[in-house]
Order: sequence, then structure tokens, then C-alpha cells
Amino acid sequence: MDTINVKVPASPQYIGVVRLIAAGLASRLGFTIDEIDDLKIAVDELASYLTGTQGRDGVLEISFGVEDTRIEISGRGRFAPGDKVRTELTDFSRMILETVADEASLQQQDGTPTFVLVKSTRS
Amino acid sequence: MTERGGLSKEEIRDLFQRYHAAEEDDERTRLREQLVDQYIGLVEFLARRFRNRGEPLEDLVQVGTIGLLKAIERFDLDREVEFSTYATPTVVGELKRHFRDKGWAVRVPRRLQELHLELTKIVSKLGQDLGRSPTVPEIAKEAAITEEQVLEGLEIAQAYNFTSLDAPIDSDDSDSTSFADQMGQEDEQLETLEYRASLAPEMAKLPERERRILYLRFYKGMTQSEIADRLGISQMHVSRLLNRTLVRLRHALEE
Repeated sequence: MDTINVKVPASPQYIGVVRLIAAGLASRLGFTIDEIDDLKIAVDELASYLTGTQGRDGVLEISFGVEDTRIEISGRGRFAPGDKVRTELTDFSRMILETVADEASLQQQDGTPTFVLVKSTRS
Repeated sequence: MTERGGLSKEEIRDLFQRYHAAEEDDERTRLREQLVDQYIGLVEFLARRFRNRGEPLEDLVQVGTIGLLKAIERFDLDREVEFSTYATPTVVGELKRHFRDKGWAVRVPRRLQELHLELTKIVSKLGQDLGRSPTVPEIAKEAAITEEQVLEGLEIAQAYNFTSLDAPIDSDDSDSTSFADQMGQEDEQLETLEYRASLAPEMAKLPERERRILYLRFYKGMTQSEIADRLGISQMHVSRLLNRTLVRLRHALEE
């Protein structure tokens, strides 16, 4: 599995960069346009929990793992201590993610809010 | 849609006749108000197509109402055409002029506009030919551009409001009527969705088409391409509307 790591400021305006990298990698794996769009929606949905609508002090560490037809994206929010991030998905988010991703989760891992997202191409 | 005012065709015809025949200013004003009431739903419907451009819907409705008043003034009963059909281009024209005067409709660089139009066409064509959603290399090959350019084109489209480019305005209001009818049939299931999502107030504020796309994608599990076929718009347009709607709902939830 190849791994690509990026760090971006924890601001919504950089989620677009993460989306674009995800799309670029998924495209190499043969994802269709529909599947790439789904992946982007999932990235948006999960990364938005980390940044909030206003952004936070700190960075997002995003790791992309690619293998065959599968992409796994994990994101960790490195924020100032005491910056409380909601890690409970809303029903609506859960419904969206069930539709657009194979696996999606968000939780506190060793005190760091972390998401994991997995999607494979069916084509 | 246009029946919201609740008057029958005959009553509307009568209203127009009395309006054009009226000599007293008071009388004219009163009748004109009745006509505006009758068709304000049409103005709201059309104005909604211009939201997402940074203007409050209420303002757009006001602008559209100017168009409606012009149409009421000019409408000739002998034309044998429904007033709503006659008024639609006038109202839309007024809204377009509003944006053109503000210079907001031309913010998208020309190169990106062209790339976007090209990609929209190719995605649709390949989708038809292949019977599935195309991949980026397939699109790049067809468009004779690099895969990076395709990815950029797809991503950048989200950043701009391309509504004017690929949202055809229905001048024939029978389309919107049948659309509203379809919505009616699915309302019950939509309510389930809203309940499940506990987003009822925000969902209710969404334009019908956006609500429908949400429903078809996340409740019915249709793909974006399938939704595009069903609604008669491009896959890229579905993609943008869906993204925009999700951003909006996300913000609403956080507030």
C-alpha cells in the first residue's frame, strides 16, 4: 500500500485541497466520476467535523492509503488542548456516509479527534 | 405552482379584463394587487433559481415582482397564451438584468466556463456510450486534456455558481407543474427522511429540486448519474447542487 501524507491548516478553505488530492488518487485507482464525487462528499462531511464551519487553531493531518481499487483516508485534528471537537456523527451525517462510503467513522483516539474513511471502486 | 392564488382561469381572465378596462387609479391598483397575489408563487419559483448567488431570496422576489408588474401591464388576453407562460421570460429577464447590472454573472473566468461546459457535455456523452459513469482518464482522452485538468475542472466547478450556464429556465410552466406533482407523491417518504435527519426546518427551506436530489441520493440510493437522467439535468449539475445543499445543511446544523 502506498501512503501519502499531508498537513493543512484546520480551516474549511483547505478541505478543498484534501478533496482534490483524494480525487486525484481515486482517479488513479479507476474510480468513476460518480464514485469520486461520493468520495469528495464523504471527505467534506468528515473533515468538516474537525474544522467546524469557522476553522480551529491547529492542523489536520491527513493520510491517504491506496491499494488496488481501494482508498483509505484517515484524518486527525491536532488542536490546542481543551479545544472540544464533537466526534458524534449526526443521524444525517451517518445517513450520508452510509450512502457514499464503504466505511466511515469518527472518534476520539488518544484524545485526538480522528476520522477514517474507506471506499473502493466497483467498476 | 401558478394556481397558488386559487383563482380559476375564467376568474383570472375576468380580472385582466377589468384591470385593462379600469379607469380609476384606485380600482387599477386594487386589481393589480389581486393579479400579483395570484402570480407571486411563480415569481418565487423563478427567483429561487437565482439564489446561491449571494442575494437574499426576498430581494430576488422583489426584483422578479417588477418583471411581473411589467408583464401584467403588457399582457394581451387575445394572445391565447397562459399568463404564466407569457410572464416567465419577463420575470427571468428582470432577474438576469439585475445580476448583469451588478456584474455578478461574469465572475467566472472564461477559460473555466468553457472547460466546464466541455466537461459537462463529455461526462453526459460518455455516460450514455458506456452505460455507466465515466472515469477521469476516459474524460481526459475524450476532451484531449490532461487528467489533472479534468480533476481541476470538476473541483473548480464547485467553487463557482454555474447555475446560469446549465440550469435551463422553464418557459413552459407545465414542466414545473408535473415536477410539483411528482414531489407530492414522494412527500410522505421525504417526511421520513426529514424525521430521521431531524432537519425538518432546514429541509423545508430547500428548493424542491434540491430536496428531491437529497431524497433520491440518500434515501433511494440512486447514483448522481441516475438522478441526472431522472431530472433531465447534467451529472455535474447534480453534483454541484448536492454539494451545495450539504454545505448549507451542515452550516444550519452547526448554528
